[in-house]
Amino acid sequence: MRRGARAVAFVAIALTPVGVPATPPAEDFVLYCSGCHGPDGAGTPGVVPPLSGLAALLETKAGREYLVRVPGVAQASLDDARLAALLNWVLAEYSGRTPSPPYAGAEVGALRRRPLRDPARARNAALRRVD
Amino acid sequence: MPDANGLDARVERSLRGLARRIGRRTFLARLGALLVGGAAAPLLPVARAAGGSPRAPAPDEGIEGPEGDPTSCDYWRHCAIDGFACACCGGSASACPPGTEMSPVTWVGTCRNPNDGKDYIISYNDCCGKNFCGRCGCNRNEGDRPEYHWTRNNDINWCAGATTQVYNCSVAIVLGQATEAQPER
Repeated sequence: MRRGARAVAFVAIALTPVGVPATPPAEDFVLYCSGCHGPDGAGTPGVVPPLSGLAALLETKAGREYLVRVPGVAQASLDDARLAALLNWVLAEYSGRTPSPPYAGAEVGALRRRPLRDPARARNAALRRVD
Repeated sequence: MPDANGLDARVERSLRGLARRIGRRTFLARLGALLVGGAAAPLLPVARAAGGSPRAPAPDEGIEGPEGDPTSCDYWRHCAIDGFACACCGGSASACPPGTEMSPVTWVGTCRNPNDGKDYIISYNDCCGKNFCGRCGCNRNEGDRPEYHWTRNNDINWCAGATTQVYNCSVAIVLGQATEAQPER
């Protein structure tokens, strides 16, 4: 490879975004979340909770952790970075609140390896601490 | 069969007892409430959900080229269907037959359209409320996962999320184009 071509290739690689998912989070939502939570995130009363109530869970550390550890999220067949991007998008889109700081792949990776034994109890406990 | 005279006597006793306990005005008021309440029942959210399937995903059917035969198991959208194709049951590839309710929960995957070589997001909703359709049974499992990956499993009766769990048939709604084939193959 000539020196010029090598330089061009290097610049091209350097400018390639690292960790940015090729699939938009909105599409991952349709593929991984909408089957149960519905295309509008409204859920089904008594069967699947709506996504609009997620903002309250961001008020506490336990709630923030719950959102990653809940089985539907933790077990999604997505890598950590892509799952973090999906979580940030869902929260902004359906609960009107962007996590601060946004979920990062490393945080999601550590949390999803600690599965919840009793998700409903963990959710209630996290929400009670908000009240 | 009970004795006819005995039945008459029991009904008469019951009605006379009712007449003693409830005045005509009370009876008319309760009857009126029942009629008005019954007429208003379809306005309740639950009744609307059962009748019109408002949570059905909006189809995005703008696909160019020949669509194929939705009554065939080989139809491209049926790449992971397990059940009866609704197009053979009074519905279509994306609509439930009249008198059935679309399950509000489902699984979502992708199928490749051989006509344009693109992958499309498919929502496999079950239609519920009538007995097995029994026509155009089809079991294809591209991207299907075992039950422990239940969000990617087509053996599940997704009518579990509907008001009635009786399975009739399945639709394959195109929700849009997919960036990549899912689940991973």
